[in-house]
Amino acid sequence: MEAPVRPVAGAAGRKKARALLWGKPLPYLLIAPALLGTVLVHVIPIIWGVFISFRDLDIYTIANWRGAPFIGLGNYAQALNLADPDGVLFMRSIANVVYYGLVTITLGYVIGLGVALLLNQRFLGRTLVRGLVLLPYIMPDSVAYSVWRFIFQARVGMVNGFLLSLGLIKEPLVWLVGTRTMFAVMVASIWKGWPFACLLLLAGLQSVPRELLECAAIDGANWWQRFRYVTWPHILPVTKTLILLSILWNFNAYNQFRVMLGDDPGVYAEVPSTFVVRQAFDNLRYGLGASMSVVLVLMMTVVAVIYLKTLKPGKSVED
Amino acid sequence: MTLRRGVLLCVLLVAMLSVASAYAAPRQITFWVMPNAPDETHTGWLDKAAQEFEAETGIKVKWEIVGWGDAWSRIAAAIATGEGADVSQVGTTWNPQFAATGGLEKTDIAEFGGASAFMKANLDSTTYKGQNYGVPWFAETRCLFYNKDMFAAAKVNPPQTYDEVITVGKAITKQLGQGKAFAMAGTNAWDLIHNWAIVLWANGGDLVDAAQKKAVFNSEAGVQAMRWYVSLVETGLADKACAEYNQPQADAAFINGNVAMCFMGPWNIANIEQENPGLNYGVVEPPKGSRGRASFSGGSNLVVFKASKNKDAARAWIKFLLRKEKLVDYTQNLSHMLPATLDAFEDPYYSSGVWKTFKTTLSYATAYPPLAVWGDIENAVVSEFKKVLSDYIVGKYKAEDVKIYLDAAAKKVDEALKREK
Repeated sequence: MEAPVRPVAGAAGRKKARALLWGKPLPYLLIAPALLGTVLVHVIPIIWGVFISFRDLDIYTIANWRGAPFIGLGNYAQALNLADPDGVLFMRSIANVVYYGLVTITLGYVIGLGVALLLNQRFLGRTLVRGLVLLPYIMPDSVAYSVWRFIFQARVGMVNGFLLSLGLIKEPLVWLVGTRTMFAVMVASIWKGWPFACLLLLAGLQSVPRELLECAAIDGANWWQRFRYVTWPHILPVTKTLILLSILWNFNAYNQFRVMLGDDPGVYAEVPSTFVVRQAFDNLRYGLGASMSVVLVLMMTVVAVIYLKTLKPGKSVED
Repeated sequence: MTLRRGVLLCVLLVAMLSVASAYAAPRQITFWVMPNAPDETHTGWLDKAAQEFEAETGIKVKWEIVGWGDAWSRIAAAIATGEGADVSQVGTTWNPQFAATGGLEKTDIAEFGGASAFMKANLDSTTYKGQNYGVPWFAETRCLFYNKDMFAAAKVNPPQTYDEVITVGKAITKQLGQGKAFAMAGTNAWDLIHNWAIVLWANGGDLVDAAQKKAVFNSEAGVQAMRWYVSLVETGLADKACAEYNQPQADAAFINGNVAMCFMGPWNIANIEQENPGLNYGVVEPPKGSRGRASFSGGSNLVVFKASKNKDAARAWIKFLLRKEKLVDYTQNLSHMLPATLDAFEDPYYSSGVWKTFKTTLSYATAYPPLAVWGDIENAVVSEFKKVLSDYIVGKYKAEDVKIYLDAAAKKVDEALKREK
C-alpha cells in the first residue's frame, strides 16, 4: 500500500511539522511508552545482535564484550560451513523446522477451520463452547508441553498405555528419543495451536453476510458451492494473515522443543532456535549464535516480503 | 508549562529516592546458590545463616536459589553485564571456564587457610593458568547404589567389576523382570559424561593427553566404556525408556525401589530420606575396570565476581560458610555432600556408614582438566553419546559406529583445544 507522502520540505514544512508535534502533544505522549518499549526491547537488541555477529565474542571476550575483535563475516562462514558437522546440523535444523511448520500449520488450519465452521452454527451453549475451545491456546507453554512430555513418556505415558491396551504395539515405544521425537512435538503443537486459527477464522466467518448465504441457498447452491463462492472469499484475508503469522511463529518455535525434548533435542528434532541457544548460551559462542540468528532473520524477511508481495494479505473482500 | 513542571518534579523525586535508598541501604551482597538441598530445609538454613552473618558483620546477604539448568546462563549473563550477584556457587568444571572470561575475581587462597586446607582435586578445579579464581566449598563423587532387598531376592552380591555388573544384573532381571537391574540416564541428561568418564578411566583411558592439546578419549577404552553403557539397555538390564531420562529420572527409579542399581551421588541420600525412607540400600565403590577403580571428583566452589562492589563482604561471607561447624552442618544435614576442607572432613561423621565409602572413593577421584574450553569437550562428548543412544532406540545402533561417533567428538575437541589460549 502506498502511503500519501506529505510534502514537508523547506522551512515552512518543518515549522508545520513542529507545530503539529508541539501543538498537539497528547497523541505523541500516548504512543511514547509503546515506542520506547519497542526501541528498548526490540530495536536496540536487534542492532546489538547484528553488531555482535561480526565479532569474535566468546568465552574469552564476554567480560569485555565491547572490545571483542572484529572478524567480519567469520561467524557467518562458520555457521554456514557445510564441511563442519555443526554447519550441517544448522541446515538440518532449518529443514526440520520447515517440515514441522508445513505439517503443524496445515493441520492446525484444517482443524481450526472445521471447528470454526461448526461453532458458527446456532446451537445452545455456543458461547460457552467457543470459550472452552480456547483453553489449549491460553494454557502456558511450559505447562502444556510438560504435560505432553508426560503423555509421551515411554514407561508411564498415556500414549503407550493406549496403544498397548488396544494391542497395537507389543512393547512401549520410545517417543522422546530418535525419529519419533518430531511426531510427538507436532502432535502437541497442533493441539496447542489450532484454537488460535479457529478464533481468527470464526471472526472471519462472522463477517459473512447471512443474506448472501441465504440467497445462494435459494439460488440452488449446494453446501460446497456456498462455502467456495461465498464464505471462502470472506475468510481469505484472515487466512492469509493467519498463515503469515503462523509461518513466522513456527519458524521461531522453541518452547515445545525445549520443554519436551530438553536443550539438545537430537538431530531429528533440532530446530534453529534450540541450536542457536545452545551455541550462544551453553557453549558461550555469542558471536556465532548471533550470526545464525541474523541469517534466520534475513530468511524470514525474504519469506515475509515474498508472501506480502504475492498474496497481499490485509485486503478485504470489498477491496 | 505545567507538563514540563510535572516532568521535572518526577525526575527530582526519582533522583531523591535513589539517593535516599543508597544512603539508607546497609551493605548488602547477593549470593547465588544452587538447589543443594530440598527447598524445605534449604531456605530455612540460608535464612538463619544470613541472619547470623548480618548480626556479626552488619552485612546483609540476599540469597537466591538458582536451578542448575539456569545457573550457567545466569552466571554468564552476570559476567557479561557486571550485574546480578556478588558471590556465586559454581560447579567445579565451570570454575576454569568462567575464570577464562576474566569475569571472576582472583582469590588469594592463603586468606582462606592456604592450599593445604582443601582437598586437592577440588582446589585444582578453582585454578586457571596456575591462578586461583574461587574457593572449594564441597566435594562429591558418584558411587554405585544398590537395593539390598532386590539383591537378596536374586541371591547376588554387589558387583566388583563392570563385567560383574552385567552378570549380576542378568540374575536380577531373570528374577525380577526386564529393566529392573539398572537405572541409567539418557539423552535428557546434561551430566551424561560423568557416567561414561568413570568407565573410561577404569579401563585405563583418559580424556585429553598430558599436554592438553589433543583428545585421546576415542581410544579403545573410551569405545568400550560407551559400548558397556549401551549394553545395559541392550541386555535388558535397564529399561529402554532410560534412553529419554535425565539423571533425576534415573535416580527416582532407584529411589522408588523399582530398580536395583544406579550410579548416584551423596546428595541423593537426602532424596531417599525424603521420598522413600524405608528403602533398604547400600553404597559400594564404583566397579573395577581393566585398570582398576576410578571415580569422578566433582562438587562446587564459591566465586566472587570481578564486577562486585562489595568484594570484602563477599569474601567474608565465603569464610563464614567455610567455618568448620557451618560446613559440617551444611554438608551433613542439608546437601549430603562432602566438605571440601580437610578439617571439616576430619569430623568423625565422615568415617561412618556409607560416608566411609564416599570418602574412600573420593581419595582416588579424578577431576576433569581445568580448561577454558571444557564446555566444548563436555558438549562434544555428550552430543555424540546422545546420538549413540538415539541410534539404539531407532534400531540402527551398531557397536562399530561408537568409534565413528567418538572420533567425531574428538575432532571437535581438538579444534576446541586449539582455541584454548
